[in-house]
Amino acid sequence: MRKLSKLGKVYLAAVFFILYAPIFYLIFYSFNSGGTMSSFDGFTLEHYAAVFNDTRLIIILMNTVIVALLSSLISTAIGVLGAIGIVFLRNRKMRNAVLSLNNILIVSPDVIIGASFLILFTMIGVKLGFASVLISHIAFSIPIVVIMVLPKLQEMSSSLIDAAADLGASKRDILTRVIIPYIKPGIFAGFFLALTYSLDDFAVTFFVTGNGFSTLSVEIYSMARAGITLTINALSALIFVVTLGLVVGYYFFNQRARTVGTGGQ
Amino acid sequence: MKSIIQTSIAILVVCALLLYGVSALEKSSATSGGGSITIYNWGEYIDPELITQFEEETNINVVYETFDSNEAMMTKIEQGGTSYDVAMPSEYAIEKMKENDLLIPIDQEKIPNLKNIDPYFLDLPFDPGNEYSIPYFWGTVGIAFNPTLLEGQTFESWDDLWDPSLEQEVIIVDGAREVIGMGLNSLGYSLNSRDASELREATDKLKTLGPNIKAVIGDEIVEMMRREEAAVALTWSGQAADMMFVNENIDFSVPEEGSNLWFDNMVIPKTSSNVDGAHAFINFMLDAEAAAQNTEYVGYSTPNQAAIALMDPEVTGDERFYPPEELRERLEVYENLGLEMLGIYNELFLEFKMDMKN
Repeated sequence: MRKLSKLGKVYLAAVFFILYAPIFYLIFYSFNSGGTMSSFDGFTLEHYAAVFNDTRLIIILMNTVIVALLSSLISTAIGVLGAIGIVFLRNRKMRNAVLSLNNILIVSPDVIIGASFLILFTMIGVKLGFASVLISHIAFSIPIVVIMVLPKLQEMSSSLIDAAADLGASKRDILTRVIIPYIKPGIFAGFFLALTYSLDDFAVTFFVTGNGFSTLSVEIYSMARAGITLTINALSALIFVVTLGLVVGYYFFNQRARTVGTGGQ
Repeated sequence: MKSIIQTSIAILVVCALLLYGVSALEKSSATSGGGSITIYNWGEYIDPELITQFEEETNINVVYETFDSNEAMMTKIEQGGTSYDVAMPSEYAIEKMKENDLLIPIDQEKIPNLKNIDPYFLDLPFDPGNEYSIPYFWGTVGIAFNPTLLEGQTFESWDDLWDPSLEQEVIIVDGAREVIGMGLNSLGYSLNSRDASELREATDKLKTLGPNIKAVIGDEIVEMMRREEAAVALTWSGQAADMMFVNENIDFSVPEEGSNLWFDNMVIPKTSSNVDGAHAFINFMLDAEAAAQNTEYVGYSTPNQAAIALMDPEVTGDERFYPPEELRERLEVYENLGLEMLGIYNELFLEFKMDMKN
């Protein structure tokens, strides 16, 4: 790879600075004993203690993670099958139609989706709560997974499948031993994107939460009305650190897998 | 394929562990026996200790949820799906909810602590006889200002906002009723005026305020005033209290021509599945000690006379937040003007904002 020019490096540094400055600003003030973000009075950990003492906040945080993990897992499973279905649709017009329907869901505003779900759930008598939030998160994640998996499928040469079939692979073998391993990077990308979508979705979730079930985005939004308390800073800092840890862990895990030479994937 | 299955199983295990954790935490905080109620309140608008205290006293488990606007709250109640037992809307929202048949009448016999409420705050135009609502917190609209940035200027009259020395210094809250109301008040008219010529006069007067206005914004006002990015703001007393809590330089005044008196009230929505529990909760919140504790936590003005007696006289004697009798007489509660009139207010407010651009 060609080395970055000096100007390129400066530009890159500036971009990263802008991206991370708000987060570090927020984390910095989570240690402020002053109680606000206007001036730094001294170091304290009391806001972190407040997070751990607030059972309600911890429950909400755990709920948020459960919904995010489960919904992205399920939507990845559905989305991958959907994408395979779309690619193997013979009729071109039909394929484009299905793809467009999928894309419409991605571009349509969250509020519309949220309000529609609220109306649907109350009409068919589903109690708002865990189930309604999970279902709507699965629903808005599926199109995202489809869009992430599709390019991988399209780039796969159809002769791979023909070769497998010639060698006597059953349909099931083709799916589990040829197609899925090939599109695996796409599947993981889809999963992680669905995960982040679910974690930070406010608009849809707001409409379908109820009966004591809430997620972080909804909770923080209504807390923020009375001015951001530093408890939110502390909580955000914790989430940031955990995420950072996961990414670093994933990176090392990958590096090791590669150097040990277990066949790459 | 193997790694995908492994990952999936790992995720499921993590979810199961978390679910177990949630149910364990919920069990430890839940008390059994007395059923449960769901409270729907503004964010950061109650002392969480009071909820625990209520649970211990009554054995009723409290599910607590928050909203950030009257409109959002009404939508969720109207659609059902959650059995909200107590909600805290503002006065105009109560009128709307009454019209839309979203409320259950309150049985005042089940709320003996109603006697603690100052009669001045009962039987108001938005809910005659307090058939559907019980006051929770109240406040006024006034001027928050920072004397250190202003060379000791004071704000006894709305007209002080028009002072030429305040060029580009005034922030006003982004609300049609508040701003047009200020225009009407400054001319000595009622802020519920339906008179076209009065409204026109008020709007024309507001337009001359243009050069002084720095911004027309919402909740961000608090943060801007705290950081001394602005010197003067037209805002609610509750927001002013939030500012003063952090920045001691800030002062608040309700101009003598009069202003708006606002309320947040406790109501029992139609979705309630535990009406008795809801009454018990409302009664608990009206208890003198509970109300005093809550007021100290939230920092808004309480309508609870008995609580005021228990509180620090320095707080309750503060005329900026507990205005004296003669000023109170000039405060007005918003009346429901009807959709058409509200449209006119909104249009005039828009006209004023557009004029500012020039």
